[in-house]
Amino acid sequence: MAKRILLTIAAMFSAALLFAQTGGVKGTVINRNGRQGVEKAKLVLLKDAATIGTTVSDKDGEFVFRGLPDGMYSLVVTAPDFLETQIDFAVVDGLVKNLFNVGLTSIQHVTDLDDDSFAAFDMDDSGFNDNPTILFGSNDVFNNIAGYNFSSVRFRARGYASESQEVYLAGVKLNDAITGYGPFSLWSGLNEATRSKDTVNGAEFADFGFGGYNGATNIFGTASQMRKGLRGSVLTNSTLYRLRLMGSYATGMQDNGWAFAVNVSARLGGNDWIDGVYYKSLAYYLAADKVFDDANMLSFVFFATPGERGAQNASTQEVYDLMGDNMYNSNWGYQGGKVRNARVRKTNEPIAFVKWEYKPSEEFESNLTLLYRFGKNGYTALDWYDAQDPRPDYYRNLPSYFYGTVGGVYNDDLNRNNPMKYGWSQWVWQHSGQYPELTHINWDRLYNVNYLQGGRSKYIQEQRHVDQSDLNMAYSFKYRPLANVDVAGGLSARINNTEYYKKVADLLGGEYFVDVDNFAEREFAATPYKLQNDLDYYLANGQARTLHEGDKYGYDYMAKVRSFGGWVTGTTVLGKLSIAAGGRLGYESFWREGLMRKGLFPGQPENDAMAAQWINEGIEPTAETSYGKSNVAKFITYAGKLNLNYVIGGNRRMYANVGYFSDAPKFNQVFLSPRTRNSMVQDLKTVKTFSSDVNWQYSAQGINVRATAYYTTIKDQSKVMSAFDDLQNAFSNFALSGINQRHMGVELGFKFPTYIIPDLSLQGVVAYGQYVYTSNPVMTQTVDNNAEIIQYPIISPDGWTNSTVVPVRYWAQTNLMDGTKKQHYVPTTPQTAISLGLAWNHNYWFIDGDVEYFDRAYLDMNPLYRTDYAVAGLDNAITNEEIEYMTEQERFAPAVLFNISVGKSWFIQRKYQLGFSFNGKNLLNNRSVKTGGYEQTRLVDNTVSKERFYRFDPKYFYMAGTNYMLNIYFRF
Amino acid sequence: MKKIIVILAAAAALVSCRSLIEEWQPVLGDPKPSAQYVPYTDSNLPPNSPAIGSYKTIKELKTLYKGTPLSVSGNVWIKGKVISSDVTGNIYREVYIQDETGGIDLKLGKSSLYSEYALGQTLYVYCDDLTLGAYNGMPQLGLAADETSSNEYETSYIDLQTIIDQHVFKGEVGTPIAPEVVDEAKVKAAISAGFTGELWGKLVTIKGLKYGNQIFALVYPNPNLPHKSANPENRVFLSESTWGIKTWSLSKAKYIEMLDSGALDQAEVGSGATRYGPGSVCFVVRKALTGTAQESRIEAFGMDADLTYKEVMKKYATANYVSHYFKLGSTDIQVRTSGYAKFADQVLDAGLLSGGKSADITGIMTIYSGAAQFTLVDAPETSVKVY
Repeated sequence: MAKRILLTIAAMFSAALLFAQTGGVKGTVINRNGRQGVEKAKLVLLKDAATIGTTVSDKDGEFVFRGLPDGMYSLVVTAPDFLETQIDFAVVDGLVKNLFNVGLTSIQHVTDLDDDSFAAFDMDDSGFNDNPTILFGSNDVFNNIAGYNFSSVRFRARGYASESQEVYLAGVKLNDAITGYGPFSLWSGLNEATRSKDTVNGAEFADFGFGGYNGATNIFGTASQMRKGLRGSVLTNSTLYRLRLMGSYATGMQDNGWAFAVNVSARLGGNDWIDGVYYKSLAYYLAADKVFDDANMLSFVFFATPGERGAQNASTQEVYDLMGDNMYNSNWGYQGGKVRNARVRKTNEPIAFVKWEYKPSEEFESNLTLLYRFGKNGYTALDWYDAQDPRPDYYRNLPSYFYGTVGGVYNDDLNRNNPMKYGWSQWVWQHSGQYPELTHINWDRLYNVNYLQGGRSKYIQEQRHVDQSDLNMAYSFKYRPLANVDVAGGLSARINNTEYYKKVADLLGGEYFVDVDNFAEREFAATPYKLQNDLDYYLANGQARTLHEGDKYGYDYMAKVRSFGGWVTGTTVLGKLSIAAGGRLGYESFWREGLMRKGLFPGQPENDAMAAQWINEGIEPTAETSYGKSNVAKFITYAGKLNLNYVIGGNRRMYANVGYFSDAPKFNQVFLSPRTRNSMVQDLKTVKTFSSDVNWQYSAQGINVRATAYYTTIKDQSKVMSAFDDLQNAFSNFALSGINQRHMGVELGFKFPTYIIPDLSLQGVVAYGQYVYTSNPVMTQTVDNNAEIIQYPIISPDGWTNSTVVPVRYWAQTNLMDGTKKQHYVPTTPQTAISLGLAWNHNYWFIDGDVEYFDRAYLDMNPLYRTDYAVAGLDNAITNEEIEYMTEQERFAPAVLFNISVGKSWFIQRKYQLGFSFNGKNLLNNRSVKTGGYEQTRLVDNTVSKERFYRFDPKYFYMAGTNYMLNIYFRF
Repeated sequence: MKKIIVILAAAAALVSCRSLIEEWQPVLGDPKPSAQYVPYTDSNLPPNSPAIGSYKTIKELKTLYKGTPLSVSGNVWIKGKVISSDVTGNIYREVYIQDETGGIDLKLGKSSLYSEYALGQTLYVYCDDLTLGAYNGMPQLGLAADETSSNEYETSYIDLQTIIDQHVFKGEVGTPIAPEVVDEAKVKAAISAGFTGELWGKLVTIKGLKYGNQIFALVYPNPNLPHKSANPENRVFLSESTWGIKTWSLSKAKYIEMLDSGALDQAEVGSGATRYGPGSVCFVVRKALTGTAQESRIEAFGMDADLTYKEVMKKYATANYVSHYFKLGSTDIQVRTSGYAKFADQVLDAGLLSGGKSADITGIMTIYSGAAQFTLVDAPETSVKVY
């Protein structure tokens, strides 16, 4: 018996030796879109740059090369409609190397979407925000089509806020620590360096992080992940910047174990549609990878995108109509005959990271990244002290200020009817070419006002800074303990210190500015210490600080965020069914730390000497303080997800996700007036989200289909809106809490051959959702120049009473007194979005033509209009007419757009590739498509009747008319 | 030839791009500081401005007014030096200019006008299409009145920049005009002359004023509700004594302080014949609404009906005008000060209040319903000399 066993072992050993002499490589070529096998992919095997074999994948995408001696090899995989992929591998000890899945990425015919794809909307002083979601498309048929075609209307997948989309860089979740917004602007212009990425949709699991409910993307960002070779491109477009020059070079992983990559670009110039919007931006990226052995690789990356871009402002429809141009931008004017934009974002926020990849075996791999973001992020704006509002479209400069209409009909209640002024105002705006000094910012006037003051500037250009120091650590691992079990997990930690301040950017011809709060001066002129932005300086020097260019002033505080957490997921495959489950647990805390003691909110004296000085100077301590550390907001966060995936016949699958998330609110959603004091929203709660989706996917023989149904509820959200109110002459802060939403709908994406014309496919997407508010939040209003919380009359069970906690009774719905109800919707994104088109690909030509339809997009609402007070008016009598008028939410008109994309590439001497892509959008030149906007948060209350209120006109952003992008590129 | 065509086509494509030159301006460096405006003179007319026809003196202009608003037509100009400033906040949305014959209130309906028009700066005013009118007897130059049902004024503000640009031209900044010292006889003469009185709108110094021991202020308990004479329930008069007010005016904070002190508790509510004094249910410390027939009109206070007047006044507190009465011989001079003035809460000199001292004051002389009014331009430490 023992002999038999020994013989058997010997035979097995001999067989292994025999096999070792015929090493090889095998794997399965798969489409990253759906992960189905790709048939007839061409695989070229290289050794030392010489071709030593070719093969094609079988019907399941599988391939194998045998008889390979030990050594390093390269495998180049090509297939129609897919990007070429190269994999380097080693054959060791005569074994057959199993590459498992070799993912191919669908060719994307258009320039990658990034932050540049979206105009910078200037909403800083409006109380609202607009941060686009970027759908990364290449591995999903829905995202692939919707990502580009819907970007022009700032489409948000499933109606979710952009901050719910998780964006990772090298495994580090990099959503902004303060706001949660996507950090895309940090690498805009570095398209080549950030092209390689992994994306999951909805609540799907990712292996680089736990992910949320609105998809997650991980940009690899390392040198060896960049496409090998030298590339260059010249791009021009007509909506954002005139010229983009880009170059990149990547060595790929070299025999010496090093890989290097560099990517540089410049985006320059203005555009055809929005005057004053321009780019003057550079971008650079340097990276190196070093493989130490089979198990360890270190990556070093440093990049930044220093530059500036002019922003676009929203105006009322009255202004657009008078100008005959829905793209009018009130942010700019002529200075000495040259264009100057008052609102320019100036940034230079470098990122450096080190990543350690450790892969000791086929079953285990891990990544550890240490990432640091730092630098400056400034946004200029005009500031003025005791001078006239310089904005050309200020409401007192418009015809409507002199002729009051409601719904287009003159209304005497508004007490505005002066035909002469109305006529002249209308004339000026309708003949803006003759009156550039009145219909744009009149820089020359601002300078001349300053010249008249004998040194002290009345107008300056300030620069509001949000400078981050953001240190992140992320660790993740993947482990396959059993053939059908995968475990992934990770840890993360973040230390974010962000300084908010503003500085004098330009004295506009004056010699100095003075650091006093001109908002406070209106109410406390007789109490000089209350006007001080920097009380400590005032007390030390007996006067307010005299400011010169570069000096900080106004406000200065730190937002400090600390978070850490961990996650783990497990996946098991049971035949055709795979089950994944996972959880996340974390802790997040944040606080404000005031660096400047403001006269209105000095707080308490810190010592006896200070107390004595305050008594001497008549300074009254306050309960609220602008200086020092606030209370710390602390949250335990957690989440759980479950995924079921059933593969049907190899090319179809059904899968479903369900998840529950309890997340901390963000700093900017919690502090009532961080510019002035430490006060926070009361009764802070975590945001609770339940999300579920069920999906069906088919991918084979050129057919790709995904259909999804989803249902999500989001509860206990809070929000702080700070809007400049010139009636109060101060920033008003509206804090909302208890906002609940429900998002449900269906998504369909498809692409399949027409079978009539070769290489012609029919493609399309349908996104139909219902994104609604399901609760009425409560509102608390504060004003920056006053410690009081504003009281409003509210209807209580005892009748009208005054309250600082104001129910926003008409937020979720308009409830008329006769029982009629009208739903209010989550704003901005179209809730119906459809695209249908044809795509033709042949011999490196592509032509895509699509028609899009958008509907059910809604305007962002302000809470004030939905309160008892606003609806009732001054007489406290509520009528159906008042409710209907005041609480109405505007629905944007539907829009139809036509887009076309054409491209071709040529191979020259089998070595170089030259090509172009041309994208023409909105070919019907539809110039009436609203892409965003907001209601102004203030009431017309100076009526004759003193019975009711009226609304200020809302402000809008519009989409550009016919526009193009032409990209010419070469590669070798 | 082919190259030339290509170059020409490329050039044509470039220049056809909308505003191609302009769109590169912000990219290619910062613009230079703007040039200083060239002051306007008789011989240096800005482009597109009307040629000067004939000047009238301010006095001549005033004589055109015949009791109803006058729309000036024709190439008529006045010019004068700026004598007012809104830097202290006591003058709002108006500029007074003065020539050798008098001064006039130019209703430039903008805020912070001192930033635009310096003291001593000559302004050239093209009067065509402007309206000369009166506000309770005070001459004003503005635009045609609003055509609203509630309008009470003969003129409206010149608050549209294009109209200002067409009518008001900035000249040299010269030496500010020195105030004219006026005596009681001159004041009386001006009062009897009415609208054309020489002093109205002029920078003057009145010497030897004695405090008159009374003030006048009209405050609206809820300024958001109707408060005209037809709404006596929403008017509180402070008159015929000083009500303990020792400051030039009442800022919002000072007003609340005065209410809290109880100094205003006995103030009357109402107007004209409809007044409610301490003997009535309806004065400051009593309920706004009692349910009695007499006071039913005050139901307009709505949800605040259960509050006392004092509570309503505190709830809707704003800054308020105060007129202090002074005596120039036997003539009353009201010095009227805005609650938004930066010196609103400055206390009058104690000796002045007690009658032991006199004062010389400098400011703009105006007329209000046949009485002389006075507006301080500068803060009292500059414009009021107590001795």
